[in-house]
Amino acid sequence: MAGQTSDFPAMHFPALLAAGGLIDQATFLSGVKGFLTIYYLGLAITNAVAAFLLWHHWHRPKAALVWTIVATVFGGILAPMAGSGDPYWTPRMPEAIVSFLNSWLSGQVGAIVYTIGSVVFLSVLYLGRDFFVRPMVAWTGLNLALLAMGLSMVNQNFWQVVSKGDNIPIVGLMFLLGFFTWLATYRAVINDKRIAEGLPPLEKLDDEKVLVWPDLVYTELVCMLALTAFLLVWGILIQAPLEQPASSVKTPNPSKAPWYFLGLQEMLVYFDPWMAGVVAPSLIIVGLMAIPYLDFNKKGMGYYTINERKFAYLNFQFGFLVLWVTLIVMGTVLRGPNWNFFGPFEPWDSHKVEALKNVDLSEYFWIGLLNRGLPKAPTGSGFFVELGYILLRESPGFILMGIYLFVVPPALAIGTTLFRNMYLKMGFLRYMLMTNLLLMMAILPIKMALRWSFNLKYIIHIDEWFLNF
Amino acid sequence: MAEKKKLSTAEILAMARGKAAEASAAKPAGESPSPESAAPASELPAASAEPDSAAAVEKKPAPKPAAKGGARPSVAEMMAMARAQGGAKSAAPAEKPPTEKKPVEKPAAKPAAVKPAAEKSAPAKSGGPKDTASILAAARGAKPGPMTKAEAAAAATSPPAKPKAVAPPMPTKPDYAKPSPKPVAKAVSADESRRGFLHVMLGSFLGIGMTSLASVSALWTLGFARFMFPNILTEPPSRFKAGPKEGFSPGTVEEKFKAQYGVWVVNGDYNGQQQIYALKTVCTHLGCTPNWLEAEQKFKCPCHGSGFYKDGINFEGPAPRPLERYAIRIADDGQVEIDRSRTFQEELGQWADPASFIPATA
Repeated sequence: MAGQTSDFPAMHFPALLAAGGLIDQATFLSGVKGFLTIYYLGLAITNAVAAFLLWHHWHRPKAALVWTIVATVFGGILAPMAGSGDPYWTPRMPEAIVSFLNSWLSGQVGAIVYTIGSVVFLSVLYLGRDFFVRPMVAWTGLNLALLAMGLSMVNQNFWQVVSKGDNIPIVGLMFLLGFFTWLATYRAVINDKRIAEGLPPLEKLDDEKVLVWPDLVYTELVCMLALTAFLLVWGILIQAPLEQPASSVKTPNPSKAPWYFLGLQEMLVYFDPWMAGVVAPSLIIVGLMAIPYLDFNKKGMGYYTINERKFAYLNFQFGFLVLWVTLIVMGTVLRGPNWNFFGPFEPWDSHKVEALKNVDLSEYFWIGLLNRGLPKAPTGSGFFVELGYILLRESPGFILMGIYLFVVPPALAIGTTLFRNMYLKMGFLRYMLMTNLLLMMAILPIKMALRWSFNLKYIIHIDEWFLNF
Repeated sequence: MAEKKKLSTAEILAMARGKAAEASAAKPAGESPSPESAAPASELPAASAEPDSAAAVEKKPAPKPAAKGGARPSVAEMMAMARAQGGAKSAAPAEKPPTEKKPVEKPAAKPAAVKPAAEKSAPAKSGGPKDTASILAAARGAKPGPMTKAEAAAAATSPPAKPKAVAPPMPTKPDYAKPSPKPVAKAVSADESRRGFLHVMLGSFLGIGMTSLASVSALWTLGFARFMFPNILTEPPSRFKAGPKEGFSPGTVEEKFKAQYGVWVVNGDYNGQQQIYALKTVCTHLGCTPNWLEAEQKFKCPCHGSGFYKDGINFEGPAPRPLERYAIRIADDGQVEIDRSRTFQEELGQWADPASFIPATA
């Protein structure tokens, strides 16, 4: 656990700072029992408020009864159990789930399972959105997630990850993002139903003009004050995640980017720094800027909808939720020392060996397939001879990339109705631009999958000029 | 006064019209009772209206803006003014119409005072319903006052010649703004051009200001440039002695120079050849400092997981090329000397350079 000890929030247990790693579970629990009690009590109060609102405001006594029971369980049973600080009584994740998650979310397999799993999970949520956005279902999901969180925090390894000052915003992000995605989807589902019935969307019903001054400005003022107060409390309660004095020879292990850049850091694992650090982020920005010029769908302005903008919606959610947010969560929770993959409850062993031997596409082709050495210019040959040899060596990669970027789009236009309609509406240039941007976005998961499954390092690898892809 | 605020524009206009009618009715009654206007005058109890409007005029602080010398009055004030005028008009004739004496002594009521005179000039025309636009215009003070619809129609047919917007004469160009005579030929003597330069630089306040700004900026730049060449460098020297060659036993990675010099001295096998070489402790991916993992016999970068064999060759993670070597040699005193000013890259074939390693025996 070297390198991770100093990151504990000192508020909870200074004893742990000295312990340097995993400590006796009873000692650990006596440190966190206060927090856990407050956590479960908070859950109880939240559910009690929900039950009260259901009964009093929305007149649904049965639902109110259910959530009253839930609140009672949280406040009356789980909170005192957690407050006991006793390893036996404290509610915790069942051992079966812990070992299951640890074995499936660890190492190379873990990367694949996590990525595919999150895509499948989000797809299920998307396809079953009519069901999942129902307030009662969503509230149940939130409660389950928070309960899983509370049960997991009893595990010291998990606790070390989520309670680190750097990572608290990400835990918050997961829940906040879940809430806002739910809110948008909820309204979109309602609107889609209304549109199918020939009614105007909700937003058009309440089209009253609202003034910037005073309506908006007052709201902003209140938000500003509330946020400032919140940040003050945060700043007082949680210590800044400071580390040892900077040294050019000692890099913390693991070395993590600020949380909002963890997606980029994950990208850097699969691409050359020039590509992942400069070209890809620029492409993201340019691509976002290009959307208004590529989008010919005039529907969906000023109201939430999914059915009217399926293509745009799915692309955005894939780029944002899958390629950005899940990578942030992955970088936070699952990446450990030496940037290896660790299960959420797995100890961070900096000596964990992962057998990796990355191979370039050119090596696969020339050595693996043709069973001969890489083409190499004779020593002392001129620039153009060397250039020719390099191009020959990397020709498989160039040909593959050429096919990917310039043959796949026409093939899509010919083969699928969706893309054919787009081609007809957008014209050649706009169509190629859009498909190329899409394909560049898609190459990240493709490259990740290739790395995990074939240990593929670079498709095009020209060290001589720092051109790797 | 309080209920007046509640009046709508239409009501105010109606009131203004009514008061103007009263005025025109009252005036002829006092001046020259003509048969047409005498009849409405007897119908409208002019006397009962008078005290009201007169009181209104006296109490009213509204026409103040007029006194403030042309500050544009608000709509409410305009309306109040229109009312005041109506009142003044109806009051004035009752007191002593022909005289020049102002009905109200306040200077604020100046527009009101002008009215009787204006009306006197054309008393015959004043009669009949007033034109709304003209009432408002009169209130704005631009036009003589409320006029009858007939007048408005006449005005529309023959619009009064508007005062032409006369552009004020252009000020004469100051000397510095005049186009300077073009340098016809380059026959200007060196002396003149030098003087011209000085004139531009120091001839005016602007010139002096810009010149001093430029000089100060230049000084700042120079001073900043000086920072790039500090008097004392705390960096370790680029060459250092690492002790005798025998200190590096075969198969070991010496880490003690990492902290100060950023160097691993390795006695290892490269391409079947036992060598002592100095590896730079900078990952070739993004420049983090990897760690030597003795148990796994590899260098591992904590940032993105790049891994390097003991000879520095990259094999896992994203690092695109092997670690770099520093120049290494046996110095004259028999010690191993490492020169960090020269690096050797494997992918460029530079590790074959004898300056990049010391041959060793396994």
